[in-house]
Amino acid sequence: MLFGCIHVPDFPVQAALRVDSKASFKADAVAVMDGPESQLKVFACNRAARRAGINPGMTKAQAEACPEVTLRKRVVEQEESAQSALLDCGYGFSPRVESTFPGTITIDLTGTERLLGPQTKIGRQLAQRAEACGFGANIALAANPDATLHAARGFTGITVIPPGEEGRRLACLLIEVLQLEAEILDALDSWGIRDFKALAALPTIPLTQRLGQHGLHLQRLARGEVQRELVPAEPTIAFRESMELEEAVELLEPLAFVLNRLLEQVAARLVARSLATDHVQVDLGLEAHVDRQLRTGPVLAAPALLHQRTLKLPVPTQDAKVLLKLLQLDLAAYPPQAPVKKVIVEAFPAHIRFGQGGLFQPLAPEPQKLEITMARLRATVGEKDEQGRDRVGFPAVIDSHKPDSFQVLPFDAERKEAKKCPPTTPKTRFVLRLFRPPLAARVELSRNVPAAVMFSGRRIRVKNASGPWRSSGSWWDKAGAWQREEWDVELKMNSGTGVYRIFRELPSGQWFVEGMYD
Amino acid sequence: MASIAVIRAQIEHRLPGALRASGHAARETFPTGIAALDRQMGGIPQSVLTQICIPGGMVSGKTTMLVSLMAQLTRREHFCALVDVSDCFDPVSAEAAGADLSRVLWVRCGDKKHKLKPLEQAFRAADILVQNGGFGLIAVDLGNIEERHIRKIPLTTWFRFARVVEKMPTALVFLTTYPAAQSCAGLTLHMAGVEPCWAGSGTVPHAQSLVEMKFELEVRRTQLRKPMQSVRQKFAAAPVWA
Repeated sequence: MLFGCIHVPDFPVQAALRVDSKASFKADAVAVMDGPESQLKVFACNRAARRAGINPGMTKAQAEACPEVTLRKRVVEQEESAQSALLDCGYGFSPRVESTFPGTITIDLTGTERLLGPQTKIGRQLAQRAEACGFGANIALAANPDATLHAARGFTGITVIPPGEEGRRLACLLIEVLQLEAEILDALDSWGIRDFKALAALPTIPLTQRLGQHGLHLQRLARGEVQRELVPAEPTIAFRESMELEEAVELLEPLAFVLNRLLEQVAARLVARSLATDHVQVDLGLEAHVDRQLRTGPVLAAPALLHQRTLKLPVPTQDAKVLLKLLQLDLAAYPPQAPVKKVIVEAFPAHIRFGQGGLFQPLAPEPQKLEITMARLRATVGEKDEQGRDRVGFPAVIDSHKPDSFQVLPFDAERKEAKKCPPTTPKTRFVLRLFRPPLAARVELSRNVPAAVMFSGRRIRVKNASGPWRSSGSWWDKAGAWQREEWDVELKMNSGTGVYRIFRELPSGQWFVEGMYD
Repeated sequence: MASIAVIRAQIEHRLPGALRASGHAARETFPTGIAALDRQMGGIPQSVLTQICIPGGMVSGKTTMLVSLMAQLTRREHFCALVDVSDCFDPVSAEAAGADLSRVLWVRCGDKKHKLKPLEQAFRAADILVQNGGFGLIAVDLGNIEERHIRKIPLTTWFRFARVVEKMPTALVFLTTYPAAQSCAGLTLHMAGVEPCWAGSGTVPHAQSLVEMKFELEVRRTQLRKPMQSVRQKFAAAPVWA
């Protein structure tokens, strides 16, 4: 049996600092306050804050007496997402992960040595994974869950306890590591029991007589002998990170720093679970200012309190930089209407797609890079045209007789087989070059055949004409019905000859030049 | 009197490589599907800026050549990008001409509400596409833009594009009304003139149809083959409905 434990000391502080790029857990003195607004008290603090004189339970006024300590309000949402992130670290190693306490998880690593290597190596990997998720954690590995828990609580860094040595290695730990009720702690203190060694050495029967079965259990814990069943947590698939800002952000640039930090955390959690995302939702909580006109006093309409943006990608990604760039471009196009007070990033997981490139296949644009390119192109040329068709994408011809029927679909550079073509080289075909929208024209007819076309301020004689080619459609729909008469005309101009397609809209009789054969 | 061989040896000694064709000669090309051009040049070169010039934006076969090139590339599983300044690309006839449109990224400029002018949009879009890489062909269609606007594009812009594309296996093709890229272009083609061929009775227009168009093509400038011989060639194209 092998169990691993990741314990995050001062978890509320680390959870608050995890998404904050400005403060450092080790260097800065930080205290987390909790309680009603008028009775805020120190809920947790880090070592630097303790050195500065801060202790849990101090009032806000007392804590503010230490100017070097940064005070933060406790956000339970942040702690929940930090705990989820911690569990994601564990799921990267084993499917049996227990959420033991807030800031502490226990992992069943039995049988993973052959896959992950020796125990010291597993310990290092756990530490690295926790660090990638933004935690400075203590790691312990031992043969039973409680021994790993106490070793992780009591020793800093990575601790590996070989089987059978639990009692000897845990002996030096202070009795506070057991996190006992005050009553039992007082009793043990009055007997002079200060550490695990002293508790383990107590005679069993007198201890049971005084403290009952609980006392016996405590002694077995101190000896590292308790074998219990792990209670695995139900794996969640929510990858959600949030941050409440102390001061509302108005500009997109500082907001990008916040988004970057949150996206990095989401990406690290996705990596830990070997997942990617193709759908990211960003909720920006806005600080609404309701303006009231002086004297008359009507309350003007308040802006929406939530600005929601969604990114959908054709290819799942784990790259936080790609997501950030796409979000920046999206927010530049659709900025929030008020200063941002809260940011929530949620990634919906998808499986990573693996592709095998062929040696003889030509180069293709990188899917993730292409997504940014598409967003930049949309920002450059616009999103939609007058008909509501996309301005960037690949054209797909609609199965219709209506002229110029096409849609523009999102382009993706997935490797797909080229269309089957005949083995012989096909003949070169001349194509139409359209005027979009068609140019209004006037046409002189001679015996119902175009004799001259006037458009763009010129009158051009028709040398040859072919037509009329009549077509119609959507007659059942009054708004969409169309009917027209097409002609291919050869026009003799000063600059040379040109063959154009002209058409007449039959209900109105208006002539247009649709394009030229070029 | 020194023989040519001696003079050649002396020049080679003083200026190594002066009489040798430049290294660009070995560049790979993409066939255009137009036999006249493929025979003479091998097609449109990779890693080079190519300009196809059409004076006055007249009917000349420029779009036919571009679509034919796209059809050849997409058939070889390459991806193409088309920056369409005047939004004049016709997907229906391009598909009928053999282009696999699912491999064509179409960038339609000309949004009147946008702060940038279509020409500026086109160059910025081309820049973004060149930076992305991975495309076999990046074509910028400036065929409807007036010559006076094309002349205003600084030479440094063309030079930058030529230098960037030099290291990429991409053919960068500009359709313009004026050969503004000058020496930055590795290949300059001029297209002019068209001869439509009609079949059927001239008196009954409904019985008459366009069966072929002949276009004229001239290689004006190339860094790929020296000495360059400017030869006018004609190529024929059939209608998509034939």
